[in-house]
Amino acid sequence: MKFKLFLILFVLYSQSIFSEEKKIDPNSIHKNLRCLVCQGQTISDSNSDFAQTIKLVVKDLIDEGKTEEEIYSFMSDKYGEWIVFKPELNMHNSLLWILPYIVLIFGGFFIFSLIKKRH
Amino acid sequence: MLSNLGNSILFLCVILSLSIIYFANQNLKTPEGKISKIIYQFSLIQSCLILVCFFTLIAAFIVSDFSLINVYQNSHTSKPILYKISGTWGNHEGSLLLWAIILTIFSFLFLVYNNNHPKKFRLLTLIVQNILILGFLFFILFNSNPFSSIVPVPNEGLGLNPILQDPALAIHPPLLYIGFVGSSIYFSAAIASLISNYSSNSFSLSIKNWVLVSWCFQSLGILVGSIWAYYELGWGGFWFWDPVENASLLPWFAMTALFHSLIVFERRNIFYFWVIILCLMTFILSVMGTFLVRSGILNSVHTFASDPSRGLYILSFLSLMIFVSIFLLFKKYKRENYNINQNSKETFILINNWFMMFYLATVLLGTIYPIFTDAITNNQISVGPPFYNTIIIPIAVIFLLFMAVGPRVKWIKNKFEDLKIYTFILIGSLLINFLITYFLESYSILSNLIIISALFLISSSLIDGIKEFKKKRLDYARIISHASFGFLVLFIGLNDVFSIEKDYNIKLGETKKFENYSIKFQTLNLKEFSNYKAVVGELEILNTDTNKKNILSPEIRIYDNPQTLTYEASIKSSFLRDYYLTMSNIDRSDYYNIKFQKKPLMIWIWISVVMIVIGGFLRIFTNAKSN
Repeated sequence: MKFKLFLILFVLYSQSIFSEEKKIDPNSIHKNLRCLVCQGQTISDSNSDFAQTIKLVVKDLIDEGKTEEEIYSFMSDKYGEWIVFKPELNMHNSLLWILPYIVLIFGGFFIFSLIKKRH
Repeated sequence: MLSNLGNSILFLCVILSLSIIYFANQNLKTPEGKISKIIYQFSLIQSCLILVCFFTLIAAFIVSDFSLINVYQNSHTSKPILYKISGTWGNHEGSLLLWAIILTIFSFLFLVYNNNHPKKFRLLTLIVQNILILGFLFFILFNSNPFSSIVPVPNEGLGLNPILQDPALAIHPPLLYIGFVGSSIYFSAAIASLISNYSSNSFSLSIKNWVLVSWCFQSLGILVGSIWAYYELGWGGFWFWDPVENASLLPWFAMTALFHSLIVFERRNIFYFWVIILCLMTFILSVMGTFLVRSGILNSVHTFASDPSRGLYILSFLSLMIFVSIFLLFKKYKRENYNINQNSKETFILINNWFMMFYLATVLLGTIYPIFTDAITNNQISVGPPFYNTIIIPIAVIFLLFMAVGPRVKWIKNKFEDLKIYTFILIGSLLINFLITYFLESYSILSNLIIISALFLISSSLIDGIKEFKKKRLDYARIISHASFGFLVLFIGLNDVFSIEKDYNIKLGETKKFENYSIKFQTLNLKEFSNYKAVVGELEILNTDTNKKNILSPEIRIYDNPQTLTYEASIKSSFLRDYYLTMSNIDRSDYYNIKFQKKPLMIWIWISVVMIVIGGFLRIFTNAKSN
């Protein structure tokens, strides 16, 4: 009985997760873009002319039906990789994305080896 | 006058450090079991002198003695007295003096409070610590001297950056410094322990409270910094994974790993070398953080003092520390015999360390990676919040689950109990999460997982607490810290999911509506204050469901000295949510850009961190009682 109830809740729940179609929120994109003329601010925080322009460009790109990833690569092609806060996964950034997981896996193996050595 | 006084005291401190090293060295050779009185006396005098030196600088700031370059550059006669004082450590030179103070006072206190440890170990710790003190004193005297004078004496100072004129930022540096400079003492102790072969588990007793003290202050320092960033920087967030923020977080991870593995070391006498590595690593990371921040090698919101020559000095110092540490480790390393069972407390504490090292590696890599790509491929990249969130959050889910289960597991034993109770807790957490997401509507799978695992940690910590209470063996410190950590993650998760953010260009008298809110731009006033002018807007936020009104008044401030424009957020806090509003002018138009944010449960994020720290202080207290 309990299990059935749980199952029903779970189905409802997963529906609520997957059914909704996602719209792109321009502000979440602004937050991942650096304002190039400011000191360490995002496009979202800044009111500089540059930020205003970028906001318009982002709006246009969303209207054209571009995805979030496409917008980021458009920006980094045009202004350089410095503008995006999420580094692209490419050749020279591969270490950045992969090393943390290597540390994680290596650590796991290390602990495992310590434990297995018991008498 | 004050310039000469300050310089002479600094010079005296150098002589005292040298003589302490000399006497300690002499004392090492004598067969006598006690440390000679003169060393205690010199250490005490040294601590007092460095304080006098600091008070001299504070005095110079209070009376606005502009014959000191430092005062001239960072103060102004019209500044409120509190910010004149806090200006003392709000700059590079003054903050280094604060470094030296903490190094010195910790050195003295460590000497006094560790009577029942071997003489050789204590003397060596003192020597190493005094070498560190000398390193910083030389740096202060020859590179970053706060007492350098200027001729002719200017009539007026340049003023302190207005965003630094803030109560939270006045106490932020001292808190943070007690944290990461405090870690110097167990760096010295670790080196001394390696040299003197003091590797029994009683070594852990000599450092564990120092680790906890530095950890507590580090946490508080980070908290105060985040609160400041939240209300002062005007973007409504409190953590941006900025290099300077990361620099404070790196030693924190190492400290957290350290005081957990110290528990195992003390109890089972294993992991000695791992404990030593963590001791060394914590202070090395602290100095590295300082190097990254002060050398200007990284681009950050907070860069306030950068100069290549400083960087070079700190870098040499840092390399020397790393070299000595690694050399000693290799020389003294012996294989240890581990005897660890799969489901024992030891294993779970190792797992804690494993995750801490993963976080540390991720944050360290993200912080310094841009330097390498810039140097090697000439390609500037930004590593920001999306990177850290993508890598850290999914792993944090697993971490929280381990954190919930770990403390209940017994020492040495190889048996897993209470599987049933965990199943119930897990189902309970799923249900609560389901209710939250069903009624409040949120869709991201990852945030659901985070909320579930946080709930899991909270409930299992609390149930654990109740059980222990019944057995009259309640470990307050751990229960409070662990449950509060769960709450912290829960509140951050909920806050992130249910925040509302709206951005409008609005004219005086206009009203904007969205969801169940309406914002009305009521008035705009110009106000004059002693050291700035402000344009103060008044906006009414109306919740159309409950008909509750809130007036928020964001400001645009124009400071005179130095001439700066700042935007002050207006925040209305309550137990359930914060309203956050910033306003800025748009050039050549009557419109103002306003950004409205509703941030649920904001206060609870701060309270959770305070509770975590209270847990830490409780642990220090119980340790002191049992000794």
